[in-house]
Amino acid sequence: MPNEAGRAYGLTALCPIKHGAEAPQPGKPARSFAARTRDLLQDLNEAAESPMACVPNTYLCRFLVLDNVAYQGDPAKLDRLRSSYLVFVADLHAGKKSEEGLRRYLEGMWEHAEPTVRSLWEHCVGFDTVSSSDAFVRYVKRCQVENTLYFNGSTDEPLAEQLKNLYLKQEFSRFAFEHQGKKGAELQAAFGQFLTRTRPHDLSGPTWKPGARTLDDAVIDPNPPPQYLRSVPTGASR
Amino acid sequence: MPNIAGKAFAMNLITPIERWQAAFNKIQFWAIRQPILSFSLRGLVTLSMIHYARWAIVQPTEWPRLDESQPKEKLHYAYQLFFSNFNGSWAQYVDSFSVAIPSGLNLLWFRNVGWPKAVPEQPFHRYVEHNEVWTSHYYSAYPMAASNDVKSAQRVKQALTSFASRTKDMEAAAFEQAYNELLNELQADLSQMAPTPIVSLANAAVEERMRQDAEAGDEQDSGRAPAMMGGSHAE
Repeated sequence: MPNEAGRAYGLTALCPIKHGAEAPQPGKPARSFAARTRDLLQDLNEAAESPMACVPNTYLCRFLVLDNVAYQGDPAKLDRLRSSYLVFVADLHAGKKSEEGLRRYLEGMWEHAEPTVRSLWEHCVGFDTVSSSDAFVRYVKRCQVENTLYFNGSTDEPLAEQLKNLYLKQEFSRFAFEHQGKKGAELQAAFGQFLTRTRPHDLSGPTWKPGARTLDDAVIDPNPPPQYLRSVPTGASR
Repeated sequence: MPNIAGKAFAMNLITPIERWQAAFNKIQFWAIRQPILSFSLRGLVTLSMIHYARWAIVQPTEWPRLDESQPKEKLHYAYQLFFSNFNGSWAQYVDSFSVAIPSGLNLLWFRNVGWPKAVPEQPFHRYVEHNEVWTSHYYSAYPMAASNDVKSAQRVKQALTSFASRTKDMEAAAFEQAYNELLNELQADLSQMAPTPIVSLANAAVEERMRQDAEAGDEQDSGRAPAMMGGSHAE
């Protein structure tokens, strides 16, 4: 299937936006539904965290409003789209059964980001009838276009694995730097403490938080070990 | 800049193709996907700054129409949609493509209307700029990591967990030797990640606003009037 590469899945959805405009508010000009959708998307950039950070297994994703296509100049023919489209493009972990994985992903999106989903899709054609995760899955699938080629230049692990790997890479790089020149027993004891602190097999934490933009807020650990086991601060920032 | 999420850059390119040509190109893409012809993607693999990328060819009748109230699209052309996530700047990416896999690009955009060929670079740049569409919101789960970091982190984790179980009961001297071998094995994969100087202009604006809000809060706490509030917060 051209929508997947290994266990990674590329969702491409073109969601038509209704014609027309919102009723003007006092002191504010009327905005077309397409312009209003773009406003809402741009508002997301002002928040400290993207709402998509809450959606499990989102590697990367983007939203844009496509109003038209570019004219290539004479002698090309002029094309004009008759609707604007909310374009939703997501790179996600779907697992081996990709279509089932896509359904789970969209259900998770509804579960964890429903207010955002409702506001972004509010002005899309046919979205009025969407009021459950099942309906949202069906809706997005109706808007989905099939990829002709999907290329994975990264890994296809579950996001929790990728984030744990990144946390371990960061921590072990620091460990290696700080323990240069140490010998035998001292090195072995320090490595033991490192394993206790970083818990390499525990995906719940310590790990990197999805979407973290700075090292100061990158590490999360919902189940920190007792204080006496934490000989080194768990923060990644130095 | 909403096309940027930390180290990732989102490119969107939408280009027309004659409908009959699009049907042919779909067959060509199908062939590229077959294992026996997977070597044709080898050039893409060498561009290690790519996280994920996709191509989708949409015929005029394939644009989603969900309701009778929505007008049918009446387009002369099919359209090829290209969405890519990569690390580095726009120019670095476009130039890398042009230099590393010019024939691959000519294959992937075969006979798209106005396609100037991947080389020379200047017409190719103009074509990309002309057909590029701006992203409004872009999210990355790991803005501080490049694609190479994600791949090397996987190797680090595998090597580390294997090393931990292998050396569990080792004598100190043997452990030290195994540890040095581990560092030797991972030397190309170990590095510290950090934010790019400006993750994005929007993010920089958010941080500046938060800083101003915090300063204003401190001043209010100390009983003085705030000097200047961040304007966007009140909107």
